[in-house]
Amino acid sequence: MRSRGALLGIVLTAAAVLWAAAPAFAGSSDDDCLACHGDSGLKTDLGRSLYVDSSAFGASIHGEAGMACVDCHADLKKLEDFPHAAKLRPVDCASCHEDASAAVRESIHGRPHDGDKPIIVQCKDCHGAHDIRPAKDTLSHTSAMNIPDTCLGCHLERVQTKRGAGFAGRYKESDHYRALSQAGLSLSATCLSCHGGHSVRPVDDPRSKVSRRNIIRTCGECHTGIERDYLEGVHGKDYVKGVQDVPVCTDCHSEHDIRSPEDLDSGVYATKVAGVCARCHDNETMARQYGLRTSRLKTFSASYHGTASKFGEVKVANCSSCHGHHGIRPSSDPLSSVSPANLAATCGTCHPGAGENFSKGKVHVVSEKTENRWGYTVKIVYIVVIAGLISVFLAFIAADLFRRMRTRWKH
Amino acid sequence: MEALTTGPLIRDDEIFLRMNLAERIQHILLIVSFSLLVVTGLPLMFYELRIFKSIFSFENAFAFRGLLHRAAAVLLIVDIVWHTGYTVLTRRGRDNFRELMPRGKDGRDAVGLFGYNVGLARWLYRKGVLRGFFDRHPFWKFENPPEYGRYNFIEKLEYLSVAWGSLVMILSGFFMWNVELSLRIFPLWVHDIFVIAHGYEAMLAFLAIIIWHMYNVHLNPEVFPMSKVWLNGRITGHELKTLHVLEYRRILAERREALEAADPVTAAAPHPAP
Repeated sequence: MRSRGALLGIVLTAAAVLWAAAPAFAGSSDDDCLACHGDSGLKTDLGRSLYVDSSAFGASIHGEAGMACVDCHADLKKLEDFPHAAKLRPVDCASCHEDASAAVRESIHGRPHDGDKPIIVQCKDCHGAHDIRPAKDTLSHTSAMNIPDTCLGCHLERVQTKRGAGFAGRYKESDHYRALSQAGLSLSATCLSCHGGHSVRPVDDPRSKVSRRNIIRTCGECHTGIERDYLEGVHGKDYVKGVQDVPVCTDCHSEHDIRSPEDLDSGVYATKVAGVCARCHDNETMARQYGLRTSRLKTFSASYHGTASKFGEVKVANCSSCHGHHGIRPSSDPLSSVSPANLAATCGTCHPGAGENFSKGKVHVVSEKTENRWGYTVKIVYIVVIAGLISVFLAFIAADLFRRMRTRWKH
Repeated sequence: MEALTTGPLIRDDEIFLRMNLAERIQHILLIVSFSLLVVTGLPLMFYELRIFKSIFSFENAFAFRGLLHRAAAVLLIVDIVWHTGYTVLTRRGRDNFRELMPRGKDGRDAVGLFGYNVGLARWLYRKGVLRGFFDRHPFWKFENPPEYGRYNFIEKLEYLSVAWGSLVMILSGFFMWNVELSLRIFPLWVHDIFVIAHGYEAMLAFLAIIIWHMYNVHLNPEVFPMSKVWLNGRITGHELKTLHVLEYRRILAERREALEAADPVTAAAPHPAP
């Protein structure tokens, strides 16, 4: 006990002497560190590079602020004996960046991911280590231009969500990414815009920016006018009421690979719109639950618009041409594009000079019997005539062949 | 008398002109426009069939289909205008048209042909069933096939069907082509009737051609694989005698009259000496 106490005393004394002795000795200056770590060949036994690019650090936000290596690698602050121990304590960003750190701890990145190999995400995984630059700097790992690659560094393959492999990577097929990478539009949506930065949460967490509860608000941060239209429409009104089945942005536009409606691969490309709407509007269960009218797709398909659409014609009307898209209103609403009073104007967008006659009849004809009696009569007459005539023709042909065969048998 | 009808006034291998060049071209134009209209129109009626989807899978296929359909419609209209003019303005056209008009005889011919082909009444008569009825009404015995003039009831029905069908198709098609015009005149439900009629009339025409016309001019063992009248317009004296015997007798009578007028003595003798 005594000897240990004596040893401690000696060490402390020595430390105090050294501390007082010379600033040249005291702690390690960046030059001390770079004496070894400036060598680009410096590696651990396992081959991991220990090189620190001093110019990159100098240009970083921390380098520019004049911070020294040991300000972050705090356990080396009082070290004089080189080389230092192989294992250092991880850098604790929270000592300065407390709020951000707390947000990350609360987020999904702050908890070990479940799965075979739990992964703990550290600040440097996104921000880099020595070359951290402010997000405004285009060279920063967290600048809008670089965010997709930063996130996809893990989320492309290594980390998969419930939606399976490649789900996150599909962002690169989106128009958001095209705007970012090709048009250089840094305002375009990146991972961060929708998922948040430090406080990213899984979609089933109600506090998540991409949860059903928040997705409209999240998209509306940029698409303000569309958010307003949506909330005024029949879908938005039910959304506000908390109806779970009502479509939100991502139900029609998909999540990561959102494309322009003009894009052939877009889920809302002109010829695919009907299929998207039909997911709910031709669904018997949902129709019963919410009092929707079914056979919308069937009746559309049977129309010229629908048939042409099936053959890939994009100029003909699809659901949204008449009903609108974000702010769809029921026909009973006087502001609706399909309210009887507005029908002439709506049809008139494609059929110039469309008048009142456009509204004198049904568009989605479920049953001609009740909705177009004369049309139904014509149809029935034709069916009877066709069936009758064809039967007569076949009977005559059969009789003719019968006689010829009989004559052949006789001879 | 018997010698005259089988005599040299109409030889079996004599060639008669059944369809002249103008009529043949009109018929070919009708084939071309009708086929194009069917190929470019039927997919709309059967939009679920995969074969149509694979035919119309190239870019702008649907617009091209529509263009082709309307071009064929214009061709059909031109053909009909030509045929109408031809029918009104030429003597041969007017003659043909008169011959094509339906008469009571055509109904009897249809029943007669069917009854003759089935042969049930003949069989019953031979068995002695209903003999009294058949003796009083020999028509119902269907002893012989009906005798036709230049056009039999089948050909008349086809001609009149084309006329009626074209009328319906051109009228309804015109309004479908010009939706805005149509809806300036008619309410939507009337326009919908045009669409319905256009589709069903097309089905009727298509089935009639595929079943009825194709059997009568192609598959019928008598002409199989194909009657060549539509190509060379020719029919032999023998064919005239067997298929259009009334026409045959009329020509025969005409020739005999002409012969008698020219040389009554020679004409009286069945086999004039050389």
